[in-house]
Amino acid sequence: MTEMRNHNEEKAIGEGVGFERIRRITGYLVGTTDRWNNAKRAEEHDRVKHTIGRQ
Amino acid sequence: MVQQKTSGVKTIIKRNGAKVPFDSNKIRNAILKANVHTPGEKMSEDKLDEITLLVVAVYDQAGITPTVEQVQDTVEEKLIEFDLPQTAKAYILYRAEHQKMREMDANLMKIYENLTFRPSADVDLKRENANIDADTAMGTMLKYGSEGAKAFYDEYVIPREIAEAHQNGDIHIHDKDFYALTETCCQINLLKLFHNGFSTGHGYLREPNDIRSYSALACIAIQANQNEMHGGQSIPNFDYCMAPGVAKSYRKLYFKALTQYLQLHENLSHEDAQALVAAIRQDLGSDITLSGSEAYGKELVKYLPVHQQEGGYQTIYAQTVEDAHRYACETAWDETDSATYQAMEALVHNLNTMNSRAGAQVPFSSLNYGTDTSEEARMVIRNLLLATEAGLGDGETPIFPVQIFKVKEGVNYNPGDPNYDLFKLAIRVSAKRLFPNFSFLDAPFNLQYYKPGDYDSEVAYMGCRTRVMGNTYDPSREVTCGRGNLSFTSINLPRLGIEARGDIKKFYELLDDRIDLVIEQLLHRFKIQCSKKVYNYPFLMGQGVWIDSEKLGRDDTVAEVLKHGTLSIGFIGLAETLKVLTGKHHGESAESQKLGLEIIGHMRKRMDDESEKTRLNWSLLATPAEGLSGRFVSIDAKKYGKIPGVTDREYYTNSFHVPVYYPISAYRKIQLEAPYHALTNAGHISYVEMDGDACKNLDAFESVIRCMKEAGIGYGSVNHPVDRDPVCGYNGIIGEVCPRCGRRAGESVSREKLDELRKKYPNVPQYHCDC
Repeated sequence: MTEMRNHNEEKAIGEGVGFERIRRITGYLVGTTDRWNNAKRAEEHDRVKHTIGRQ
Repeated sequence: MVQQKTSGVKTIIKRNGAKVPFDSNKIRNAILKANVHTPGEKMSEDKLDEITLLVVAVYDQAGITPTVEQVQDTVEEKLIEFDLPQTAKAYILYRAEHQKMREMDANLMKIYENLTFRPSADVDLKRENANIDADTAMGTMLKYGSEGAKAFYDEYVIPREIAEAHQNGDIHIHDKDFYALTETCCQINLLKLFHNGFSTGHGYLREPNDIRSYSALACIAIQANQNEMHGGQSIPNFDYCMAPGVAKSYRKLYFKALTQYLQLHENLSHEDAQALVAAIRQDLGSDITLSGSEAYGKELVKYLPVHQQEGGYQTIYAQTVEDAHRYACETAWDETDSATYQAMEALVHNLNTMNSRAGAQVPFSSLNYGTDTSEEARMVIRNLLLATEAGLGDGETPIFPVQIFKVKEGVNYNPGDPNYDLFKLAIRVSAKRLFPNFSFLDAPFNLQYYKPGDYDSEVAYMGCRTRVMGNTYDPSREVTCGRGNLSFTSINLPRLGIEARGDIKKFYELLDDRIDLVIEQLLHRFKIQCSKKVYNYPFLMGQGVWIDSEKLGRDDTVAEVLKHGTLSIGFIGLAETLKVLTGKHHGESAESQKLGLEIIGHMRKRMDDESEKTRLNWSLLATPAEGLSGRFVSIDAKKYGKIPGVTDREYYTNSFHVPVYYPISAYRKIQLEAPYHALTNAGHISYVEMDGDACKNLDAFESVIRCMKEAGIGYGSVNHPVDRDPVCGYNGIIGEVCPRCGRRAGESVSREKLDELRKKYPNVPQYHCDC
């Protein structure tokens, strides 16, 4: 891993830390998608954006 | 007893392969038990002994060590030889029953093994509900209980055909692990609960006296009730409930500031200043409010100089009193406002961190607000929104409480409405934090109950979407407070479509059969729920949270008061159903939309008819389907194969939604989904997925909310990406690379760089240890 180098440098922070991605399912928010079940992950992956502004 | 004749059989081989000492009495007891159930074939003691000895003799002669199964086969043979067919039959049934129990045990043990030794990343079962961390000790313990309970109910409680309908994916009994225990959810009226204090079951809390204790007790009430129900907890009137706390804080802080001013300005001792203010409160009363401070000031200016003169005390001029009053008002306003902010901040923090259900999760909490236009309530709403906007400790987006802003014309929807500013603020906060969601009291099916200023007539939404309002059981009590859903069960709609093979008439026949089955099931569960006593719910019923429960004694049953709750049938996958019936879902074809409305309209009518018939509250739910979205489709894909547009994805589409993968404008999506809101009286929600950074496009955000309102949506919200880098604290959209610190997921950033960033962005987290 190339990050090993950073790890050994004295003052680097964040090695192995991912981003939090907060999404809404069934009305609730969920802090990260790690705890989502497989079906919900697939559903979230498939979501497309809706165009706004129709005039 | 069988005489212990010297027998050659010393040991027997158990099913697990272990050799254990042979005991012929076990054979005798098993035969006796079977015979007891067959009155027509009463067996004498001697006969029992005789058969037992003959069974043993078989193995004596053969000189082998028998297995349990072999011995049981021999018993069956001997019973038939002796012409005891009924006893033989009972014995065979007894064997089959035990066989089944062993299988159940084996299945359950397999589940327990997975729960115990495999991480949730590998086991979907452990991620059934994203808000429960099943990797922790208490989360696992909760899952043991849950899985054990389900196995028990399937075998011993739920009627066979219903249990099978659940297992094979015809229907889904939600919260089945709580089948015989409690109800789903409740809308808690804190005003009623706080009045004269309450007990959590672990201690008594007196009526709170300032906004901080109001908000702290709100959390405690939610937590206490959550532990007695299997669904979420909602405060339907949060603004109304907190307003008295603000009023009490303001009053206290006003008199405190007045005391300080008089003490300093008039050079009084602290004791004298206190005595003076005590006299004011005695003579003028303490009834100063945020909006009524001016009137109180006028009274005070008239009163105090005269009081001083008549009492022979030190002279205080009218101008001084005016100044003192103004100072006290301003100081009290500022301090109350900041106390309210802190109270709301603490509430949001608490609801994201406090334990529920043995620490496996935080309470599922929902707060509805937006319609109380009093100054006190406005202060609450504004500060709750601001605290939500600010986020948690390091600026994280709060996951709880679910917040619902109640939109109402004349109250907060248009410029000039008293809470219009708060509606605008709600949009700004939701664009950043995903909450609040928006509910629409002007939707005709909500408006019909609405009485201005009466929170009990305002529809509220709970947890994921549940709604309770109409009341067939008692039409004089069509209110929100103290009511909730009792239980709900969902129908696998796409399967009915598949089995109908394009025949709409057949589809409706199947649907009606399925509805009949679910009605039977919900009534079965309801009967069990009705057998409970008040002492089974020390908080929900014991503290009068549920409607009318305050009229019951500790040992009374809850049967009557439960009838105010709802029994709901839900559905998922309307889109897939339409696809299989017509080839197109409702986003693709107007014909399909028409059929979709007919189907859901039919389901609603069945609920209305059932309400009429039973005088219970049957309602139709647009099922949230978190755990369910994948369960039905995986069973169906195995059973019917991959049908394009139907079973070829990992999920069935949420309730009546247009499929998430289907490109459609927000406007059209809203127009298509709105009519289903009117039909699903047990609850519903519609989403719009918004592209880009919503914070930078508040007008577009607001236009979506207004479009929902005008279309007759009951409850909706806008989804947009909210990402956060926990290392540098950036909050917004993150693609591959964090726009603030430039790292990719998993990469590190130098401390110097973070220190540099912190100068510019104060929300960069602090790191206290070198790690």
